[in-house]
Amino acid sequence: MTGPEGCRLPLTARPASDVLCWRGGRAITVGRFLAEVAALAARLPDRPYAINLCTDRYRALLGFTAALSRGQVTLLCADRAPQRLRALAARFPHAHVVADGPVDTALPVLRPDSASPPAAEGETAPAPLIPAEQVAAIAFTSGSTGEPAAHAKPWGALVSGAEAAAERFALRASDGPPAAVVATVPPQHMYGFETTLMLPLHSAAAQVAGETFYPSDVAEALAAVPARRVLVTTPLQLRALLAAGTAPPPLAAIISATAPLSPALAEAVERAWDAPVLEIYGATEAGSMASRRTVDDPDWLPYRGVSLHPGGVTVAGLGPVPLADALEPTAAGRFRLLGRESDVVKLGGRRASLAELNRLLLAVDGVEDGVFLAPDDLESNPAARLSAFVVAPGRTAEDILSALRGRTEAIFLPRPVVLVPALPRDGLGKLPRRALLELRRAAVAR
Amino acid sequence: MSTDIETPTALLPGEMEVASLIVSALSLETRPEDIPPDEPLFGAGLGLDSIDALELALAISKAYGVQLRSDDERNHRIFSSLRTLTAHIEKHRAR
Repeated sequence: MTGPEGCRLPLTARPASDVLCWRGGRAITVGRFLAEVAALAARLPDRPYAINLCTDRYRALLGFTAALSRGQVTLLCADRAPQRLRALAARFPHAHVVADGPVDTALPVLRPDSASPPAAEGETAPAPLIPAEQVAAIAFTSGSTGEPAAHAKPWGALVSGAEAAAERFALRASDGPPAAVVATVPPQHMYGFETTLMLPLHSAAAQVAGETFYPSDVAEALAAVPARRVLVTTPLQLRALLAAGTAPPPLAAIISATAPLSPALAEAVERAWDAPVLEIYGATEAGSMASRRTVDDPDWLPYRGVSLHPGGVTVAGLGPVPLADALEPTAAGRFRLLGRESDVVKLGGRRASLAELNRLLLAVDGVEDGVFLAPDDLESNPAARLSAFVVAPGRTAEDILSALRGRTEAIFLPRPVVLVPALPRDGLGKLPRRALLELRRAAVAR
Repeated sequence: MSTDIETPTALLPGEMEVASLIVSALSLETRPEDIPPDEPLFGAGLGLDSIDALELALAISKAYGVQLRSDDERNHRIFSSLRTLTAHIEKHRAR
């Protein structure tokens, strides 16, 4: 619950004996966690920003909460590329890095494991109280070019969101046996951050620490924890899991986000695994805002604390947030997603502007004309890609690709690049989408 | 369209087979014989990403019965090149 300004909210209000994390088949209690947070916090350098690169969720949680208790802002960045770290360091001076793998940076790096030896069983520390308005984290939305936009997350808004999710997905202490959350999304992505770092602090659920990416990782992680098991994942991963054909142990729920899930895939998963498939609607700017059970309802039910207004939403602890999606209120307090208001495309949880991508393409040496095309199934096919039609006499598709590589995120690189003698521009110089789709069809059939 | 780039290193039969699998599973522009056996598949090199990693893992599991895992140092050792990926598959293949 977020209170008025000046209000302080505990890091966690869970009993010390609760299981907060499953790691390598062993339980880590809230009591031991709090002792380790205190130990790590005492060792953090005195710097205002912490770049948290940990892939292990328990280390990520320790790094985040230790920084929080010291009044430091965690920068949510999963990209450990040296140039990304340099850009972050320039924008947020005097940052330090919390990581559990090799990092190529001039910033001071702290490794939660070596810095915080496991506390003896029974040793504990009180949960720190954090001001609700303190900025706990900054999340980033990637642009196709330029600097990613920063979105500050006050502690009160994060707690309020976690409590609303706990209520929505029946993960409170009063809702039954405690749940274990296995996730395939990194803890630095807003969706992964909310479901695997914030939720364990403010629900009765435990995080599962290990990295799970491939279908076999997910199956093993699920088998290693007791019921109730909850899988937090994406349409792309669900499709791969279903295709891999290995039945997981009984699940209480599957939660999907980052892109709309097709009703057909949701139904196939529900049938194969005999568990409800629930979807979260969220955005990095606002966090998780609503959910639906895909097979039951095309409309979304807002979380407690989230209300719609024209052009966006108002979120508890955060205030009004404009959105790129158009939302239309429907019956019973729900809303329908009407699609994006701009030329923004979303792939693999990342966003880019088609106009911006076209500008990049036209700037490539030797390109006379060119355009990116998003396929019709971009929102429903998790493995969908952009394609590009390019007029560039004397250049190869590989030339175009290598010029674009490094200027935009790899996920937006066109596949295929189709070289054409001319684009089907109409009398006004515009490119009718139908003509482009026809070109694409011809290229694929080739 | 075809390119006239000389293949610098000829692929071994096993590598050619895995290269064909990569190209068909990911609908790449490249011809299998043009994939340099010692260059990175992800990031620079062939420019694959995490969506490809998942698609490729699936195709490899269907074709060879080999399950890729994150603690196999994902994207580092096994996926570091066509050669290392092929070696991993040949060592663990079930069919």
